[in-house]
Amino acid sequence: MKPSNDDDGGTDSTTGDATDERFDEWTRAETDGGSVSRDPSQSPFDIVSDVEQTRSERYRMVLDSMIVAPGKILWNDWRAKLGFLITFAFVLIGTVGVWYVDRSFADDGEILLRPFETWAHPLGTDSMGRDILSELVHATPAMLEMMFAGALFSMGMAVFWGVFSGYKGGSVDRFMMAVADIMMTIPGLPLVVVLAAILDPSSPWMIGIIVVVNAWAGFARALRSEVLKLRHESYVEASRTIGIAVPAILVKDILPNVMPLIVVNFVTTARNVIMMAVGLYFLGLLPNTGPNWGMMLQTAYGQGGVYRPDLFHWFYAPMVTIVILSLGLLLLGQGLDRIFNPRIRARHAKHTGGGDSDADGEDEESTSNEQYNRGGL
Amino acid sequence: MVSTQYFIKRTAMAVVTFFVVISLTFAMIRLMPGGPLDYIQSQMAAAGQAPGEIAAEVERFSSINPQEPLWQQYLTYMANTLQGNLGESMWYNDPVAEILGNAMPWTIFVSIISMILIYLIGISMGAFMAYVEGSRFDVSWSTVSILLTSVPFYVIAVVLLWYLGYNLEWFPTSGHYGRGVEEGFNWEFISSVMHHGALPIASLTLAGFGATALAMRGNAIQILGEDYLRVARLRALSQRRIALRYVARNAVLPMYTSMMISLGSLFGSSIILEQIFQYPGVGYFMYRAISARDYPLMMGTFLFITAGVIIGVYIADLTYGYVDPRAGSGDREAF
Amino acid sequence: MTTNESPTQVTDTDVDVADPILSVRNTSVTFDMERGASRVLDGVNMDIERKEILGIVGESGSGKSMFASALLDAVVDPGVIDGSITYHPTPEESVDILGLSTRELKKYRWAEISMVFQGAMSSFNPTMNMRGHFEETIDAHNENYEEGMARARELLSDLYLDPDRVLDAHPHELSGGMKQRALIALSMVLQPKVLVMDEPTAALDLLMQRSILQLLHEIKEKYEITLIFITHDLPLVAELADRLAVMYAFEFIEVAPAEEILQNASHPYTRSLLNATPNMSTPIEEMRPISGSAPDPVDVPEGCSYHPRCPLATEQCREVDPDYHSVRHDHEAKCFHWEQAADAIPFTLPQQPGDSHSDADSDAGAGTGVNN
Repeated sequence: MKPSNDDDGGTDSTTGDATDERFDEWTRAETDGGSVSRDPSQSPFDIVSDVEQTRSERYRMVLDSMIVAPGKILWNDWRAKLGFLITFAFVLIGTVGVWYVDRSFADDGEILLRPFETWAHPLGTDSMGRDILSELVHATPAMLEMMFAGALFSMGMAVFWGVFSGYKGGSVDRFMMAVADIMMTIPGLPLVVVLAAILDPSSPWMIGIIVVVNAWAGFARALRSEVLKLRHESYVEASRTIGIAVPAILVKDILPNVMPLIVVNFVTTARNVIMMAVGLYFLGLLPNTGPNWGMMLQTAYGQGGVYRPDLFHWFYAPMVTIVILSLGLLLLGQGLDRIFNPRIRARHAKHTGGGDSDADGEDEESTSNEQYNRGGL
Repeated sequence: MVSTQYFIKRTAMAVVTFFVVISLTFAMIRLMPGGPLDYIQSQMAAAGQAPGEIAAEVERFSSINPQEPLWQQYLTYMANTLQGNLGESMWYNDPVAEILGNAMPWTIFVSIISMILIYLIGISMGAFMAYVEGSRFDVSWSTVSILLTSVPFYVIAVVLLWYLGYNLEWFPTSGHYGRGVEEGFNWEFISSVMHHGALPIASLTLAGFGATALAMRGNAIQILGEDYLRVARLRALSQRRIALRYVARNAVLPMYTSMMISLGSLFGSSIILEQIFQYPGVGYFMYRAISARDYPLMMGTFLFITAGVIIGVYIADLTYGYVDPRAGSGDREAF
Repeated sequence: MTTNESPTQVTDTDVDVADPILSVRNTSVTFDMERGASRVLDGVNMDIERKEILGIVGESGSGKSMFASALLDAVVDPGVIDGSITYHPTPEESVDILGLSTRELKKYRWAEISMVFQGAMSSFNPTMNMRGHFEETIDAHNENYEEGMARARELLSDLYLDPDRVLDAHPHELSGGMKQRALIALSMVLQPKVLVMDEPTAALDLLMQRSILQLLHEIKEKYEITLIFITHDLPLVAELADRLAVMYAFEFIEVAPAEEILQNASHPYTRSLLNATPNMSTPIEEMRPISGSAPDPVDVPEGCSYHPRCPLATEQCREVDPDYHSVRHDHEAKCFHWEQAADAIPFTLPQQPGDSHSDADSDAGAGTGVNN
């Protein structure tokens, strides 16, 4: 018995109505999903292990687990919802917002107007009379590009490295993992700083990539161990046995299953990109290229933003912006992590079953928080 | 408990990593177009020196003689680096190794104290949160942890610097110990060091312990639900034994390797942190080097920090084999 | 809760045995859930005879694990247990288990009545060797260390394990079967009088299941313990047990000696269960899965809880919860139609293969029936 305080399916028996019609041609005394293999050694109640899946069933599960269940969890969990809304708001500002807010140039308004004094400059102006809100808004697209580029690069490398290595195995695997281990050991920030100094990048895409240049390695390792587990799943073995080409297996059988992990890490990496890049801009370790939160921080800081109260609004505006975005991404990442966590998903998805376990049923926390321990910043 | 094979594997890995990093540094210095070596040469040429003199000067600064064939340059660089000869700073005109040798203890001091605090506070907090899961304490501290984790450490550093440094003037805003304080094992010096180190350490700790607490909380909650915990309770083991030998031990172990890795990232963050607090550690000099395009110092710092991290990870790997009986049987999957 | 207005209608004689070591009376376990109280053990009565092997059979979620936990008063939070469970260390003494203080309970568990969980693979602390597990158990109960460890070694040898090797090993270094046996040894190291085993063989392969069963038999003989064996696998436990109790919907629906159940099961559910059980010698066409699904603990059907799935269900079954009916003096079935069950639901035992019953299925009727 599973004493769960959930309202939709604590005990396996309650999921019965959903599964009935799938089993009408072969009903059994048990009530959970998956077609249990008819190994004569198994009793009809033995449901815990050996659940084999056909591909269509699996696609249905993927659909169920990727869209239906996540949606429910997302809206049931205020933290995930908040994270999603914050992230979405930033995307809106970066795409639509820039059309509605005019770019601001020097002497647009009085110098160092305080925030909320006039509607023309709701967040006040900087020491050159530029509107701070406008500067924040117009920095957003470049920041989003940076995040996107960095996360995309990281995930691309990690997926290639992890999936390929995990699937190939043998000496290829050993070599690739050794490389990943080395990359992982090199401390990120010093490497980034050195690369930035030598390459002197200017495009946001380039900066985004440099800033997380070796972050993919850790994730590649995590992906690989996931792939190693999947390799032994029956449907993957079946595909291999009937001679389906490796790329096809990787794309069709492996990738959909590691997608959740990739999505979660995409968000986490995006967050690291932004924290790192702004930090480097703040210190002037990245070249000045157009409006930028980090540059705002640097300029304000350089003029004494830390101790001059008349500069506070200029100095703290980008800082608060970064903290909000970072919080949004963190919550979104954690929320997604919870969504894809099998133990929690099981309560929301249909095609799952439970054993006759009287173990706990209340633990909702994912254990993969460890990933937040890794980032340098 | 640690098999010889595990020991050899880890040692080989550390050595290989070290060589790769040195090679990478060499490549960055020598091969990047418009990179450090070209820059140094052009600087010398602009100063109107003869080509032969330039080569000698370049070698003095970067341990690389541009007139030799590439493979020879590589070997010389490797040999020099392994002997601790990291070239000479163009800005300070001192050997890089000497500058960094003096700066290193300060960075290590700040990083290690921060790491200890992060894990001490994080682990006890996380464990307690897990024990009272769902309570008001748990919910509020989970929220605080998430909030703190989402604030970059440099933001915390700047706020602390302003409020406690400039505004309240409780803590100094720069340096690693008071001017005129005599270095040595005396109270005045130690308290001055503590006073100067407090804000940098506080910034790293505040920004870092939240993530550790959340991770510990997750681990502990998971372990509280494990079968072996239920069996342990049925066997009437004492609360103390269950808390220490069962929950704490099993929840902390997975965090052990990430702890050593985090030492590396704390080291790395010194570049930003020490600049904010004008704290003359390794990161401070790296920042100086970059601003002044002092490539020998910059690359030397990079090597120095990386070497520190490699050693940290190596120690972690080896000791992990002693603290966790399962280590060595599998790969390093913990992170 | 809708049914079972009066579990007290069952008299003690229904489940009485001559010399019970444990008597469970009208015991329920409830969990408060958002959608209502979930009663996962529903006023059960059961006597466990000294030194017998009692097999408890039921499908997933029938309450059998909860029954096991109840015997040790170890129902997980936030479950609430009520009723009475009496332990008789000797025929004269009796201990009210549910009334024990936390401290007394600690002395009682594992030392008097011990338990082997279904998750043997994860019942050990992964960062402690096996010796540590035995030592801390002996230590926690203030037993003599030397004697305790000597007993541990003897138990391990009895279970065909090499004590030196196993004691020095960490859990991850042992195979599943070895861990299972080590757990049995650990559960017996304090010389309990009763051993409750909840699905002890679920994660093991067929061969290992058999050999564990064999070992249990030997151990039981040697140490003269009472064994309660909980499983979903009727044929498996039928070989081992003296008596069988079948659980359905959080209560016992049939209790009888093992042989009697196999020969003369009288509850339609038990009969269907025997039918549904795959066996090497049963052709696949003859396997009869039971249609429908197990009831929800929050919403157990009115009347007999099995009626929605029962081919024999009548109006009476839908409205009134049946009493136990004595089939023989030691055979009780909780069904109105126990006399008709044998004709309506024939089953084939592996021992007596042959006659096909495909014709009988068609008149099973009542909307459910068994199909293939």
